[in-house]
Amino acid sequence: MTAAGPWIAKAYNFLKRIKAFDILSYALIVLGLFWFVISGAEKQGYFWQWYRIPSYLYEFENNSFTAGPILQGLQVTLKIVGISLVLTYIFGLVTALMRLSNSAGARTVARFYLESTRNTPLLVQLYFVYFIVAPVLNIDRLSAAVLALSLFEGAYASEIYRAGIVSINRGQWEAAYSLGLNNFNMYKDIILPQALRRILPPLTGQAISLIKDSSLVSVIAVYEMTMQANAIVAETFLVFEVYFTIAAVYLLITVSLSQLVSYMERRMKIV
Amino acid sequence: MPTKDGENYIIVVEHINKSFANGVKAVVDFTTRVKRGEVLVVIGPSGSGKSTFLRCLNGLEEIDSGTIVIDGIPLNDNKKNRLEIRKEVGMVFQLFNLFPHMTVLENVNLAQRRVRKKSREAATAMSMDLLKKVGITEKADNYPNQLSGGQQQRVAIARALAMMPKVMLFDEATSALDPEMIGEVLDVMKDLAREGMTMICVTHEMGFAQEVSDRVIFMEDGKIVEVGTAQHFFTAPVEERTKLFLSQIL
Repeated sequence: MTAAGPWIAKAYNFLKRIKAFDILSYALIVLGLFWFVISGAEKQGYFWQWYRIPSYLYEFENNSFTAGPILQGLQVTLKIVGISLVLTYIFGLVTALMRLSNSAGARTVARFYLESTRNTPLLVQLYFVYFIVAPVLNIDRLSAAVLALSLFEGAYASEIYRAGIVSINRGQWEAAYSLGLNNFNMYKDIILPQALRRILPPLTGQAISLIKDSSLVSVIAVYEMTMQANAIVAETFLVFEVYFTIAAVYLLITVSLSQLVSYMERRMKIV
Repeated sequence: MPTKDGENYIIVVEHINKSFANGVKAVVDFTTRVKRGEVLVVIGPSGSGKSTFLRCLNGLEEIDSGTIVIDGIPLNDNKKNRLEIRKEVGMVFQLFNLFPHMTVLENVNLAQRRVRKKSREAATAMSMDLLKKVGITEKADNYPNQLSGGQQQRVAIARALAMMPKVMLFDEATSALDPEMIGEVLDVMKDLAREGMTMICVTHEMGFAQEVSDRVIFMEDGKIVEVGTAQHFFTAPVEERTKLFLSQIL
């Protein structure tokens, strides 16, 4: 072996360990896509003005930074997503348990909710909740958006929960039963902890859908990130710059979420 | 209740029938009584209904007709009765069914904490005693999949015992084990029998039956074909079916 050999091997291993090759190929693909979009826009004679974007992200006044409209919108988006996510998981779990219960009434109600929610467009549901449900319950725009979103995503989440619960081996139920555990403890201590481990990946997928779907609540004029973007575009015609920017922000949120969950998954994995 | 029988017999099973949705009659007009401290062994070919009979006793299977009374409590639609019976009857399964997301100690602690409402300290103290009894104290903080089959089954026995049941049901507790591990589980079961636990064991271990059982039931097609001591089955089985079956397993 030459003197240079081990050095090259070490460098190669190091690059491999930090996933340099994956990152490089990913960067190439992204660059290719960018080139594609930019040349497409140029063919249309689009005049890029990226330099104007930072002023919509943040403002610098009196020696301090304040959030621009896009980041203000992001705060609203995160608030909507945060509350909706909790409600989604609650609605989903309750619906799944109702569908698995012995009561025919509970099963019917759950089924009706599930089918009517999964088989109609979210856009229509948003209008329905905003114009019909919200006045009755006397709730504001933001709450209406949260309610509509979590009802919609909750229906999908319930099927994920149900799949996870029924996937648990019959022996586990029988063991819990024979020890004299009641239903609540059987689910809490035996079934759900095992099911949650299995359904963490699809539940994360549901959270990602929720984050992206939250952009739809702009139609009922909730000033979240997409609505702010719409307003800027209407004012400035910076269509591509603004929408690409918020797309990147959505991407940043969803990718960090996926990373967080895969970290949790590794930690939860037992042996 | 307790009736005159209830005092002598801890389990009274009368004329129970159980069919499955596919029409298979698993248990047919089955009647038996088990005394306190008795060790009953149930043998029979596969599909003879012996496991189903066992599972009826703690309500894992619903009987179609007949009556089951355990320690004076009738097993019927009354939810309170059912819960009471599930507390009094421990069960050990062929495939152990330990909870894989909990350590050995947590497995044994669970029912004490949730059902008997004990403190963590009290539960742990009792669990460690039980684990000592089945000989696996050193694995208390391991997860079930880090244990051998024999060790897992011994933990499962400790888990069932933690409820301080009056009756223990063993559903082919050694059938899924490698031959060299069968002995360690049978030893625990024998100790239990000698301590006076009422036990019903579905098993093919005739050596075990001979050593500790008071009575052996041979079942086929959901019915009792022959009843007697283990010695009777070894020396003078009467029914042709019994002889044929014994010749296959011995």
